[in-house]
Amino acid sequence: MIEIKGMTKIYKLNKKQMKESKTTNPVKTAVNNLSLTAKPGEIYGLLGPNGAGKTTTLRCISTIIKPTKGEIFVAGHEVQKEPEKVREKIGFLTGDIKLDPQFSVDYMFDFFGRLHNIPEDRLKSRKEELFTYFGIKDFSHKKIKELSTGMAQKAAIAVCLVHDPEIVIFDEPTNGLDVITARSVTDYLKKLRDDGKLVIISTHVMSEAEKICDRIGIIIDGCKVAEGNLEQILHDTNTEDLEDAFFELYRDIKGGK
Amino acid sequence: MSGISQICRKELARVFKDKKMIFSVFLLPVLIMVGIMTLVSSLSTSAQNDVEAHNSIVYVQNAPDGFEDFLRSSDKECEIIQMSDRAGTEDMIRDGNADLLIEFPEGFMDAVTEYKAGDSVPQIKTYYNPSEDYSRAAYDAISSGVLENYRETLLADRVEDMAGLTVFTVNSDNPDMVIQDEEKAGGKILGMMLPYFITILLFAGAMGIGTDMVAGEKERGTMASLLVSPIKRSSIVLGKVFSLMIISGVSSVVYVGAMVAFMPQMMGGMGGSDLGVNLSLNPAQIGMLAALLIAIAFMYSAIIVLVSVFAKTVKEANSYIMPVYMLVLVLGITTMFTTKTPQEWLYAVPIYNTSLTLQGILTQEVTMMQYGLTLGVTLVLGAVLIGVIAKAFESEKVMSI
Repeated sequence: MIEIKGMTKIYKLNKKQMKESKTTNPVKTAVNNLSLTAKPGEIYGLLGPNGAGKTTTLRCISTIIKPTKGEIFVAGHEVQKEPEKVREKIGFLTGDIKLDPQFSVDYMFDFFGRLHNIPEDRLKSRKEELFTYFGIKDFSHKKIKELSTGMAQKAAIAVCLVHDPEIVIFDEPTNGLDVITARSVTDYLKKLRDDGKLVIISTHVMSEAEKICDRIGIIIDGCKVAEGNLEQILHDTNTEDLEDAFFELYRDIKGGK
Repeated sequence: MSGISQICRKELARVFKDKKMIFSVFLLPVLIMVGIMTLVSSLSTSAQNDVEAHNSIVYVQNAPDGFEDFLRSSDKECEIIQMSDRAGTEDMIRDGNADLLIEFPEGFMDAVTEYKAGDSVPQIKTYYNPSEDYSRAAYDAISSGVLENYRETLLADRVEDMAGLTVFTVNSDNPDMVIQDEEKAGGKILGMMLPYFITILLFAGAMGIGTDMVAGEKERGTMASLLVSPIKRSSIVLGKVFSLMIISGVSSVVYVGAMVAFMPQMMGGMGGSDLGVNLSLNPAQIGMLAALLIAIAFMYSAIIVLVSVFAKTVKEANSYIMPVYMLVLVLGITTMFTTKTPQEWLYAVPIYNTSLTLQGILTQEVTMMQYGLTLGVTLVLGAVLIGVIAKAFESEKVMSI
């Protein structure tokens, strides 16, 4: 269970960043008073354009960064008060989290397994299961730097699931993957959901959200503008598909532009 | 605790499981050091031999009869030429084609033999070029050696009892004139060199690996995966610092070992046997040294990791670490040239005090108070830095995530 209560994240910009984003305002509100609840046994999708605050939200949940205001409970633990407890419960993966290129997939899997205090025999069975599922076995002895993007991403997914986490947080899970690998990843997310895990992902791909998410929260400019399952959102916006619904909401926020 | 050891083991595996790393971190510096020192010493030896083998070219002006024979009798290979053109000879000395010019005044022999009290004493002038090795060697051998003997020979003709003129000699027959504690003397030379080398090697050995340890992980994007694992930030920091300590310790042991082993080759022409390398340490000294070296490795590792934390890339970390390295180099050098007994408060100055104390242990001059102060300051500084690093790990800005 993930419960976000009134979370706000404000970044302070330095001069260079202000210039880059063409603003004179030294603070940037990435997420503004966001609340949401995601329950075990569902795939919750944060949908929004680039820079809407999806990744920031997921990073706050994962304890990598701290929210400026508000509380986040992950499996009953508050992220700022008990960050280690939260990290025990989650598996977090993004496109920019990479595995050490010097080491083999085997080594990294064992390394993170041990960091999670997983007993050796359990580690072995997890490895067998995950490596078989993702087809990693053939290249598990290879160093990460020798792997292709797709292989490395699969390896990273397997490693982040080593401790069989209750909650899986996935930032842009299929970004940069080919169709086949992307499908095997989304299939695995569904399998996790069916096993009763809570999966929360972020995406800007409408079709992906439509296909795999049980519930969708649409974020624009750091604010949640809609939430619900696909039918509810389509019904509320009186539209045919998610893309139209998104643009309907987007127009409301941006004033018809 | 297990988190610390897991991180530490992974960092060690990164270095010790990679043959290229082992070569570049431990062997290459040794090979370069031994190679350069051997080359320098063999070059200096051969230059020295060359100077010794060279036949001096000496021009003489107005030389009295018998001087040439006298000169030949002490320097057989010497080539003696009567000077005909003064300016030409000076040019040759300037160009290194001639080594020495000895100018006797006209009527030198007459002035010597017919000397009466009150007459002006004849003067022999010698000219040489100190920037030419051959010329300088000829000057040393002839101007201050042969001519002095020549003077005494002529003097013996004038005075019957030479001993009566000598009055007394100093140490002409006294082989036991040096009274010193051999152990302390050995320690003096080693005490000058070793702290310098050890502190530098401890730092240099950890530098390359250490800058990569955090900044490299940031750059490669592997840091975040560590940050979402259920271990404390301080465990990550300590794991990394401990592994760096081990690496810097191993590398300095390898370097010092290589230095001692290759000392004869490296010091070939410089009289290696006089260096006092056969210094013997008593168990108390060894214990004090070991404890202090571990503390130094700990502090250095903390400094390097700290720099690495605040850098965004390895390149940036490497340029930040350079001034720190320079500081360590300079502070090491200063202890090589201190003659006065250092003030007590200097033992509270980090880094500098470690060089002082290392030196003090080897010369057996350090007090327990000074040693304790140094050890304490070093450990406390290391611990404070660890705290700062752990704090920095919490900061989103610093970790740039």
